[in-house]
Amino acid sequence: MSGKGPAVFLEQDVSLPLIHVGISTRSGADDDPPALAGLSRIAGRLMRRTAGGQSSDEIDARIDRMGASLGLDAGHSGVALSGVVLERSFGDFIGLMEEALTAPGLKEDELQRLKRETRAELMEVLDSDQHLAQRWFLRSVFADHPYGRSVIGSERSLEAITTDDVRRCLAREFCREGVIFGYAGALDAERAERVSQAIWQKLPAGDGAPAPPPEPVASGGRRLVFVDKPERTQTQILIGGIGSHPRDPDHFGLMVANTVFGGTFTARLTQEVRAKRGWSYGANSSLGYDRQRQSFSMWTFPKAEDAAPCIELELDLLEQWWQRGILEEELDWAKRYLIQSQAFARDTAAKRVGLRLDEILNDLPPGQHDQFVSLVEAVTLEQANAAIQSRISLEHMTIVVLGTYSEIGSAVRAAVPRLTSERVVPFDTE
Amino acid sequence: MSLPNATPSSNPTLLTQRLNRGCNRDRQVHHLGGYAFGPRLRIERYAMGNGLSILLVEDHSAPTVAYHTWFRVGSRHESPGKTGIAHLFEHLMFNETEQLEAGQFDRELEELGAESNASTWLDWTHYEIAVPATAFERVAELESERMQHLVLREPQVESEKEVVANERRYRVEDDVEGAVGEQLWATAFRLHPYRWPTIGWMSDIEGFTVEDCQTFYRTYYAPNNATLVIVGDIDPERVLTKLQAAYGGYRAATLPSTQLEAEPEQTAERRLELTKLTPTWKINLGYRSPALGHPDYLPLSVLTEVLFGGRSSRLVRALVRDHELAGDVRGSLSPLHDPGLFEIFVSGREGVSAEQLLECVDREMDRLLKEPISLDEFARVRARIELGLLQGLSTNEGKASTIGFYEVVLGNPSAGFDRLLGLSELDPQQLLLVAQRYLNRHSRTVIVVQPQTSSESDLSESGNGAGQ
Repeated sequence: MSGKGPAVFLEQDVSLPLIHVGISTRSGADDDPPALAGLSRIAGRLMRRTAGGQSSDEIDARIDRMGASLGLDAGHSGVALSGVVLERSFGDFIGLMEEALTAPGLKEDELQRLKRETRAELMEVLDSDQHLAQRWFLRSVFADHPYGRSVIGSERSLEAITTDDVRRCLAREFCREGVIFGYAGALDAERAERVSQAIWQKLPAGDGAPAPPPEPVASGGRRLVFVDKPERTQTQILIGGIGSHPRDPDHFGLMVANTVFGGTFTARLTQEVRAKRGWSYGANSSLGYDRQRQSFSMWTFPKAEDAAPCIELELDLLEQWWQRGILEEELDWAKRYLIQSQAFARDTAAKRVGLRLDEILNDLPPGQHDQFVSLVEAVTLEQANAAIQSRISLEHMTIVVLGTYSEIGSAVRAAVPRLTSERVVPFDTE
Repeated sequence: MSLPNATPSSNPTLLTQRLNRGCNRDRQVHHLGGYAFGPRLRIERYAMGNGLSILLVEDHSAPTVAYHTWFRVGSRHESPGKTGIAHLFEHLMFNETEQLEAGQFDRELEELGAESNASTWLDWTHYEIAVPATAFERVAELESERMQHLVLREPQVESEKEVVANERRYRVEDDVEGAVGEQLWATAFRLHPYRWPTIGWMSDIEGFTVEDCQTFYRTYYAPNNATLVIVGDIDPERVLTKLQAAYGGYRAATLPSTQLEAEPEQTAERRLELTKLTPTWKINLGYRSPALGHPDYLPLSVLTEVLFGGRSSRLVRALVRDHELAGDVRGSLSPLHDPGLFEIFVSGREGVSAEQLLECVDREMDRLLKEPISLDEFARVRARIELGLLQGLSTNEGKASTIGFYEVVLGNPSAGFDRLLGLSELDPQQLLLVAQRYLNRHSRTVIVVQPQTSSESDLSESGNGAGQ
């Protein structure tokens, strides 16, 4: 990274004639006005589709000609214009990215077309039970917090977005203080610096990274949200709440404990639900983070008749984990697994750049990924078990079940002890 | 990190001479040749006396090893009433063995930091393990143990049948596209085993016995029906020595004949209409297509890219962008041992009928049959195919998958690069002829999905298609 100039990260690897490029921002969907949910995603895509004032067709054909792909990923705390290109076409590719960032056409007709396409995407989501369950899980866990909001937006919020909103959004996100350049592959440092500098100089000045969203707070008791969809032979079940962030002193303790609970194929949850009972093809638990703590969740998808007993079992396993913790031999095994498998977190140049960017974009302590092994090694049994109790709430918990309510609703309700609220939502509710 | 460092460690022929001293015939390894794999890597082919095929690639750019085992058995080797057994068996392979308690296989792999997975398809079954290079020896012991010493008991088989039934509910019963795709193949094929799904029909999954599984295991899980592909930070001498110890005691099996009756030519369009709980109309088309090894396959794969490869491709542009009829458009050409399908899936936008979707698809298909593609389109497709191939090679896992797939289906582990070279020998006129040979309405099957937005009526089927 240079002193006064763009932040540039490069992992050189000349083994293949490919170059991965990503230009990431430090502002994203969380900074969109709530009434304009989906703005960051729309703005970034419009920018990519109108680079240099060209038509979307011309741009797509140009990308294909280069042997490249270029996309726009929008997240809560940032967006990234990123892609991969054959080494021989890098000059043209970076030129196109520059045109997108510094001279987008942002044409009105393309904006309207993009909005219609996004509405069609919203319609497609209705076919994905897994996606629908996930959507309602995040809404329930995070309620009014930005992490409960959809990055894609809604019918209504999409309708409200104008080209002026798009311009303001892009100026906020793709400003000198806010962008980070990442490269991996057959590229040398001098060229990476030079092309980054050329783009960076043409970007507007801005405010840099906005403050992160407030810390999400667990509340609301035990909530059951039943997403009612007819004719389901199978359910989608998500159970959980708020997890931890790598800044939390007990994050690595919780990571180790979760590895024992549901982080691998031989973890407790997977063994009990899948291996012993055959109830679900998948059964795992995971922790997520952004700039703040994201969710801790258990995911299973048993057939409709097994949904209630599966929920009972999951809650029982969770409670045992919370109350009795993990065992010394489980701790040792989980630590060995996490340490040994690190080889695959960094076995390509693109992954190694991704780790560096992750530290900056999600406010991790600098160098934390490089210290992963020692941080895991240092976790004690007491720390792991204390982390479960301090981070996981048994009282404030969301249980989302997607299934056919008329067939299994009452059994599911009866499977959740100490339930404080229940809500049934039709699957096609926006 | 990492500059290329792929110098072969030693002369393969001299190496095998040294390794074979004092070995019995089954345990001996023989070097059968080498192949360039891209500009800087090399595949060395070996065979053990018991028939086990071994493909090694030394690549020291990351301290990891991909250890893949391919068996030449998939759903095409099954019979009616026993569909899905190859896939069920893939699940069972993670269970108890003579030396390993239930769960120990996965537990040990996790402890080594390995990532493991498996997949079954129409022509093959594939087990993949990615492991830090230091753990290679133990992986060889674990993999060889389950190749011949699996323990099959009632509780594990029953539990795994339930898991597979749940996988089927997830991928097919409650998934519109999965259910429709299954019907497409069941309607397009009437004789060939490609007509049934790899996961199997639900009634067959429920009916499997321990004896079925034991028979399947004894028949197909033998060294002479397997290929090991080992890629990464390896020393060939160390690897071959270990493989001799791990697999050299196994005997070759007598494999059943895999000659299948060819599917009769399709002479008229087949159509099936389904009603599904989905908000929009959908169509799924399948044109009969050549096998992966057929000379027409490569030209047809170019045409697949012309139609579906990215946002500038013809059908994506026409359906999504220009006429705004579809929310999702995808196409693929099945890379199979025997002739398969050139598939098109289109999910319409709200209020757009199947007929409108089909009309738009037909317009573009007709254009493909009448006019040669432009040189610019051809150049774009070539660049996209090159990019796709290289992207798949960024990890040892990717390299091993590519090598193993082409070896098992075509018998040529470097065919991915050969195909890339073959592109330069094609021209638009040849592509036009191939389009005219395969993309005809009389040789296609069409599945139309009518949206049903409430539970008022049950799924209904009509038309001249075939079901289970």
